Amino acid sequence: MKNGIASRPSSVFWILLVLSVILVGALSLFVGPMEHPPEWVVMKLRLPRLVLALLTGSALSVSGCVLQSILRNDLATPYTLGISAGAGLVAGSVIVSGFIMPVMGLVAAGTAGALLAVILVYVLASRGRRVEYGSTLLLAGITMNLVGASILLLFEYFSDASRILEIVRWMMGDMAVIGWSKPLFLVPAVILGMLAVLSRTGVMNQISQGDDIARTRGVSVKMERNLLLASAALLAGSTVGAVGPVGFIGLMVPHIMRRFVGADYRYLVPASALGGMLLVILADSLSRVIISPAELPIGIVMSLIGGPFFLVLLLRAGGKKKR
Amino acid sequence: MPALSINNLNAGYEGNRVLSDINLSIVPGQICGLIGPNGSGKSTLLRSILQLGVEVSGEILICDRMLSSLSDNQKARMVSYLPQNFNPLSRLTVAETVLLGRHPYRSGWSQDSGQDLETAEKCMLETDTWDLRNRVFSNLSGGEKRLVLLASALAQEPDLLLLDEPGSSLDFKHQLNMWLLLRKLSLRGISVLVSTHEVALSGRFLDSVLVLSEGKSRAFGSPTDVFTTSILSEVFDVHLHVSQDEETRSWVIVPEMEQ
Repeated sequence: MKNGIASRPSSVFWILLVLSVILVGALSLFVGPMEHPPEWVVMKLRLPRLVLALLTGSALSVSGCVLQSILRNDLATPYTLGISAGAGLVAGSVIVSGFIMPVMGLVAAGTAGALLAVILVYVLASRGRRVEYGSTLLLAGITMNLVGASILLLFEYFSDASRILEIVRWMMGDMAVIGWSKPLFLVPAVILGMLAVLSRTGVMNQISQGDDIARTRGVSVKMERNLLLASAALLAGSTVGAVGPVGFIGLMVPHIMRRFVGADYRYLVPASALGGMLLVILADSLSRVIISPAELPIGIVMSLIGGPFFLVLLLRAGGKKKR
Repeated sequence: MPALSINNLNAGYEGNRVLSDINLSIVPGQICGLIGPNGSGKSTLLRSILQLGVEVSGEILICDRMLSSLSDNQKARMVSYLPQNFNPLSRLTVAETVLLGRHPYRSGWSQDSGQDLETAEKCMLETDTWDLRNRVFSNLSGGEKRLVLLASALAQEPDLLLLDEPGSSLDFKHQLNMWLLLRKLSLRGISVLVSTHEVALSGRFLDSVLVLSEGKSRAFGSPTDVFTTSILSEVFDVHLHVSQDEETRSWVIVPEMEQ
């Protein structure tokens, strides 16, 4: 009977996933040009970069899971609610203002911007007199994205060329690091957000069923939703501050993982964290190889993979509805 | 000791009063029906008991305990609900969906225990959804979705079951099976409060009926007391002809076409 009722992902799947993250991670240390002494390149450039990739991939994927459960929409991403626009606006204006900020500054600015954006969107949405909570939240998020992008453009318009270049470079997504400061500042934010989400996966399942059902099963929907939104903003905001608004990870990874572990967030969240690590390491290695010895920004690589993927997703979802 | 008793209940949303002066008592193992036209306050009454965003004054007791004295989790172990609104696009399987009903019995992150699986299996067998167990919820028909959610409400092992128009979008067979199931549950001691538009069919299964009209209680009693031409015609604002078939004891309620 136990096999007949609820299918759980097998332990083989988990072992394979973890092993491939380790294997691909180890290989990525040796991918790309090695002009300097290899030891220095690996220890000071590649290893911190690998850690940054692990953090970015897991944070954005898990943040995507959270948004998908709250909005009850598999096509939601961490950026749907303007999280990236907020992070981008604040981090971007820090760059424009010319403050020479340590890396921590950008991570903090990104986090603050993301949280601000989420709070703003949330307040706007709860003011609305709509029955359908999700759609108001979505509309407010889209507005946030548009307005945030234009304000950032406005800043750029009034700043000089070198700063603009810096912003544009950041917007493209930048995984290149020298030394450990960037990944190390990101670690506490990502771990905190990750633990918060991992402890709420059962609640995410309930919320995904509908507010009424979740409430009558003893879930304080409002409080839990705020906590989850804040965690998602922390995860995505700090990452965006550090590496720029890299797209599609939060959409693609949960979608692929659903095929393997199903829609139960208790398994989908950890699987997405691992899958996100794998995807970002792969994409980052690719970005170092395509036009070697130069490298492509990871944001561009990711969008070039992710764009077509998203289209296929949309078309297939549309086809299903007709049935 | 009644499973549910409601005294002098007024309820509404943001100052708009929807229900006035409602009194109701259901003893364990009784099925009580809520009947009335659209907008008469049936759903609001159910939502008041569940404290789902309704402003309430008056007294609501569940198993002799004041509603306000119960924690969310205690309440979830006593009362479960089949709503009209749910996420129809959930990608969980049927078995996973039913297992979610076990939430009030869990703490934090936990695997499904053997008892959870057993209860879920029993509830799926009862609701005739066992064969659907590996299907994805969003791919089910509207009627199947309702049955699956009923199974998950049963997995909560409630003393009191609240159903908001459970029969809508069910076909004849499943409608009948659902009422038979409610009867079976009531024999096990579960009390049921159910809002319904299937007035004629429900008459064979209900122990008592509360007829609501514009937020007020219009009549209360057994179906034989309440299902009369005069009461139902007045409440539903059409001329209805009400009779009971001698042989099958089933109710026949038909509108008279000519005015």
